[in-house]
Amino acid sequence: MNKSHDSAGASGCGSRPATSGLNILNQGTPCSGGGSCGGVSCGGEQRSKADSRRQFLSRATSMVFGSFALTLLPMESPETAAETPLPAPLNGGAVPAPPAASAAKPVLYGFLVDTEKCIGSGKCLSACRTENHVPDGYSRTWVERYVHFKDGTVQVDLVPETGYHESKLPIVDAALVDKAYFVPKLCNQCVDAPCNQVCPVHASFTSPEGVELIDTDHCIGCGYCVQACPYGMRYINPETNSADKCTWCYHRITKNQEPACVEACPVGARVFGRLDDPESELSKRLGATRTQVLKEHLGTHPKLHYVGLSKEVV
Amino acid sequence: MSQQFSFLRDTRHLQAVALGLVVLGGGLIAARSHLIPKSFGEHGPYRGDALREIAAQQPVLTSDTSCLKCHDSVHEERAESPHKDVACLHCHGNGHEHMAQAEKAAGDPSVTIEKAKPWDGDFFTKLDLFITKDRATCLSCHEKVVGMPADFRSIDVKSHLADQGAENIDSPDVCFECHTGHSPGI
Repeated sequence: MNKSHDSAGASGCGSRPATSGLNILNQGTPCSGGGSCGGVSCGGEQRSKADSRRQFLSRATSMVFGSFALTLLPMESPETAAETPLPAPLNGGAVPAPPAASAAKPVLYGFLVDTEKCIGSGKCLSACRTENHVPDGYSRTWVERYVHFKDGTVQVDLVPETGYHESKLPIVDAALVDKAYFVPKLCNQCVDAPCNQVCPVHASFTSPEGVELIDTDHCIGCGYCVQACPYGMRYINPETNSADKCTWCYHRITKNQEPACVEACPVGARVFGRLDDPESELSKRLGATRTQVLKEHLGTHPKLHYVGLSKEVV
Repeated sequence: MSQQFSFLRDTRHLQAVALGLVVLGGGLIAARSHLIPKSFGEHGPYRGDALREIAAQQPVLTSDTSCLKCHDSVHEERAESPHKDVACLHCHGNGHEHMAQAEKAAGDPSVTIEKAKPWDGDFFTKLDLFITKDRATCLSCHEKVVGMPADFRSIDVKSHLADQGAENIDSPDVCFECHTGHSPGI
């Protein structure tokens, strides 16, 4: 070992398994002479190896991420940027800008159920079943009857589809009842729909009009959305093996017809209309009446509003 | 040599990795474009065709506006009636065939429009068009049930018929001794 090596070792280089390089990292003492040193520092070679490894790693990493970014490119096409606008009332009253594709003002549908008018005739139920070919044993809409007895108990039962006439159901004695009312249930068409969020295959989606729909061709029937809906509105249709639910009769409302249940209601307990149109009957009634939504604490922001709910109704 | 060009030595590995990644990335892009439906992303993260397919479904229930195109006298009859919001199809059926015939008859006077049949007593009737003059239709709404709003005109059948002095209590058309369908009065 020559002197210069010793001096290098004294400043730390020799502790590494360097064989030809004699100097240390640049902050250390420069080579104190000796031909073998020759201006190439031992730390320099170490560094060039370390640098190339670092370069390799950084380039390889950027390539990996770059290739992932490439696969994501089609997802960032401008079409997907058009998202469903929030309804005006939930958007601080601001009218959402129309999507670039269509210059027309976006349509936003809403629903109001007046429980003070419902008579429990069940017309809406049979109308829905006929209109939407709902299989027996499943329902897209139903009507609950809440009977508050004088002893403080509350009985909840379902209105039969053919109405109470000749239904042979046990008759509730009106003398024992404090109050009783009917509550029609249908899809709440939430703005922040939990059912939509959990779909693993994008088969559950929101239409540009704010209606939650199901792509029955792509639904894999996993039933995740059925569990996610806090209102129990979804079921797996045994005929299509797809999730199914109330669509507010999307095929009717897009043809300027009312949903089947609204059409069938003889007393006007169900009101369907446009939230974006301040002149619609729905907007006027929502403005003039005190309304509630179901399970507001869940933050789903339903577009189905109720008049005359009691705290027992969930 | 190996010192000066160590970077070049490393690029051989880089090239292999790059080639592999390009092949993998290309495969992923090809698989994506093959698996994802063409209309996906048209309106949002879903198949745009699904929206059109649902919207293209044909309505089953007839809306009143279709009926009133021809039967506008009924509209006037019901204008002041408590039954003005009751859908035609509840008492008369869906009338799809009837309307198809009516459309044909409008262009061709030789086509005859079939008369409505009497109701078969079934709420889920297969009849296209029928005339209901049956207490069951009336009572499907108006029989008193716990839960009905106080201001709804509901009756206890037995006492109502006794109070009003109805003659044929068991007759299906007992209601029509006093009331009509379109404008039932009180």
